[in-house]
Amino acid sequence: MKATWNRIVQTLKDRRSTPLPEAGTEPVLAAEAQGPVDADAFRLNWAYLLPTARTVRWLAAGAVVTAAGLMVYRNPPVQHLAQGDLGVRLNQFTGAVSLWRDGSVWVVPGLHTVRVFSLRDQSYRPEAMRQATGSAPLQSVEGLSLGLDLSVRYALDPASPAVKAGNLPDNVGADIVEPAVQGLVYKVFARYTVREIFSSKRAEIAQIIETELRARLAADGVTLRSLQIGKVDLPAEYRRGMDSLLAEELASEKMRYTLELKDKRVKETELDASADKVRREVAAEAAAREQIIAAKAQEEAMKHVLPFKQRQIEQRQLEAEAERVARVKAAEGNAQARRIEANGEADARQKLAEAEAYRMDRIGKVNAEQMAREGALVTKHPLLIQKTLADKLSDKIQVIIAPPPTNGDFIGAALLGGNRTAQAGAAQAAAAADDATTTHAVEQ
Amino acid sequence: MNATLATLLAAVASAAVTVATEAAPLPSSGGAQGSAIVVQDQASLRAAPRDGAQQQASLWQGEVLEVRGERLDYLQVWDHKRERGGFIRASDVRRVALTEAEGPALLAVMRFVQDTPGAEALGIGLTAAYLQAAPAKALAGVEGAQAFDALGTFADRLARRASVAVPGKASGATLSAHLDVANGYGVRFATYEVEGRMQVCYEGEAFRRLLAMPVADAEQRARAALALTRPECINPDLPAHERAKVVTWQAEVLERVDVASLPGYLRNRVQIRRASVWGATAFQQARKNAADPAVAAAAARALTELSGVSKAELPDEDQSAYNDAAMRVSAVRWALVPAATPVAAVGTRPTLLTEPGAPGETCVLLVDAQHSAKAPLLRRCTYGVVWVASASTNREGTAVALAVQPMEGWRELWVLRKTEGGWLADVLPPAATTPETGVAEWAGWVPGGRQMLVAREARGQGRYRKSFEVVRLDGLATERVTGDVSALPLFQRWQDPAWKQQTLSLR
Repeated sequence: MKATWNRIVQTLKDRRSTPLPEAGTEPVLAAEAQGPVDADAFRLNWAYLLPTARTVRWLAAGAVVTAAGLMVYRNPPVQHLAQGDLGVRLNQFTGAVSLWRDGSVWVVPGLHTVRVFSLRDQSYRPEAMRQATGSAPLQSVEGLSLGLDLSVRYALDPASPAVKAGNLPDNVGADIVEPAVQGLVYKVFARYTVREIFSSKRAEIAQIIETELRARLAADGVTLRSLQIGKVDLPAEYRRGMDSLLAEELASEKMRYTLELKDKRVKETELDASADKVRREVAAEAAAREQIIAAKAQEEAMKHVLPFKQRQIEQRQLEAEAERVARVKAAEGNAQARRIEANGEADARQKLAEAEAYRMDRIGKVNAEQMAREGALVTKHPLLIQKTLADKLSDKIQVIIAPPPTNGDFIGAALLGGNRTAQAGAAQAAAAADDATTTHAVEQ
Repeated sequence: MNATLATLLAAVASAAVTVATEAAPLPSSGGAQGSAIVVQDQASLRAAPRDGAQQQASLWQGEVLEVRGERLDYLQVWDHKRERGGFIRASDVRRVALTEAEGPALLAVMRFVQDTPGAEALGIGLTAAYLQAAPAKALAGVEGAQAFDALGTFADRLARRASVAVPGKASGATLSAHLDVANGYGVRFATYEVEGRMQVCYEGEAFRRLLAMPVADAEQRARAALALTRPECINPDLPAHERAKVVTWQAEVLERVDVASLPGYLRNRVQIRRASVWGATAFQQARKNAADPAVAAAAARALTELSGVSKAELPDEDQSAYNDAAMRVSAVRWALVPAATPVAAVGTRPTLLTEPGAPGETCVLLVDAQHSAKAPLLRRCTYGVVWVASASTNREGTAVALAVQPMEGWRELWVLRKTEGGWLADVLPPAATTPETGVAEWAGWVPGGRQMLVAREARGQGRYRKSFEVVRLDGLATERVTGDVSALPLFQRWQDPAWKQQTLSLR
């Protein structure tokens, strides 16, 4: 090449031998230097315009250096990996893959290619399925569209074979996670009813999705950190029905709890009652025992009274017996005494009777004599009978002087309530007495 | 009787007239004719307003009728109790309007009838009418207290009348009719069989209300408390623990009475009742644990109350209650003497120990120096309360006297005596009757070891007897007996000074 360049320069020299300016000076025009020149003088000596070999050498060297610098700049031989990044270096010739973590990695241009992946947690929230009216809502088993606020948090697993082999796509989220999630979520949700998705089976669905998705992503070198199912967006009409249904379900659930509570209360009451029953039984037992003790004490008191009563009766019997004997003896004595007394009395009566007989005899004799004397006196004085009678009538009457009744009755016949004739006679006598005689009755 | 009834009617009429003239005239209510209370027993409800008309029913005093009209001197009435209408002579009833203005008139009549025996049913009717007529404010005040006092007094007196046997068919019919009238007004009676006959007792609601009223005065409270705590009105079939509760309640009720401001005889009654109740309380507590300080406290309280009774202000009718209270307190008086700690027996003089036997049983052991508790001279068990403090040994060491109380108010005397065959235990009951109330007390030893002195006091089968006796130890036969200590020189000479100091027999 150098030789070629030199030949070119030589040719040009031959064609026009023009002295070259001194080295280190700039070629100038003759006209400028020497004033006016002729036309030939203005003819350019092109040979002088060509660079010298030395210049060319420098230029070439500069170009080479520039190209090399540009290459190095464009393909830096050292790549820096930030914290949490994973560098996968591929040897173009051998196909060997090596993983590099934080720090710098040598990348020989043309030999190595490096792909950097983030090991930090990333999340994926599919926007298309968030609204029931969105572009790609989920479908339930009834065919109803529903939105789901799904959030998947994932990260690359540097230990997985897929990562180690360097088979990862450039965009892990778009190329691995999104398809996996969508391919699974739509399928799983299509197996459940809206009600189950909305209320009862939500946890189960989340569990199924998480389990399957974890397995799928693990095969691609992605670790599923968590999967969260948030708000389920229902169609508006269905939402209203579902709300009322849920309210009823809630009420029934509440009722279930209420019933459970009541059941527990029943059990509690039952236990309380059992405890109370035991307490009462114990108290009743104690009371019964107490009652028995009291009754036994009373029985004891009665038992003590009975022998005492018996003794009293016996004592009374003995006393009565003694009294009976005493009485018999006293009665015997009394009878003996009476017999003696009776004998004495009989004798005394005998004597008295004899005395009485003698007395009566004497009195009879005296009376006979007396009556003889009185008979003589009455015969002599007949009114003496009347007087004597009047004296005997009353001690208050001292003297009654009255005519004797005409019929010869007793003077006091009228007073003593005699017969009518006697009364009439007495009346006549009283009438006659008004004229003839006067009757006086003097009271003391 | 007729004179009493005439007086009563006159008083009712005059009181009504007096109060009616002072009361404001009532606005006559339209169709309401008011009510009428029957004031005559066996008033006839007739089918027509004539004396000769058929008799529909026989009405008794205190019954209330609805007046529906007037015919001649008869009222047309409706008897809601019998659901029968008819005519009744206007003079046999007293019309009441049951309005607020009528209250004072009813109260006046009620007060008059309150102390009239035989007019309880009428009184209950009048009180019921007053309670209907008076406003709530008046019932919460002094008038209300008077009304409840009167109601309780009527009911209590009626119950007592029903409990006392009165021969004669007519009085029985009247009594049962009066009880029915009272029942018709919601006055309830309880009946218990006591000593073979029925005891009618007022259930006591009016008195309980009265005791709860702060306006009730001391006399009313005393009457109420006395009526609520009648000893004959405790159900005799009550179990022991229930009886203990009743006794406790009675003590609480009697505590509500302030005796300071009461007249003497009433204070005496309350104190006699308190003494009885506290005596019973002491026994109930002693049955559980005789050594409990509460027993001594209750017995001390009983003795204090009995000591507070003034004998000068004791009417004849309260004498038997006083005697009963004295016996009940006397039965538990040994609780006041702390039981001496058993000391080791010295020589041949025996001492007593107690140990628990079967549940509720106390066993008395007689030990001396040679015979320990394991091989006692004598062991005898009882379900009664053994008052260990009462144990007394005679000078010769051949006899021991001990007080044992098997029942409330019934204290026996145990005499443990030495015989040739060993020691024997004899029991001397207070009386040879069914155990009721009584005390047999050791009063001293006659030297020689053959006789002892005993004071006995008991009420049994309706008879009360107090005697001081010289008893032969052998067989516990009474040798000499007297009602007056001074009439028995032997007794006077050898009576124990401690007994003389503490006994209630010489009250």
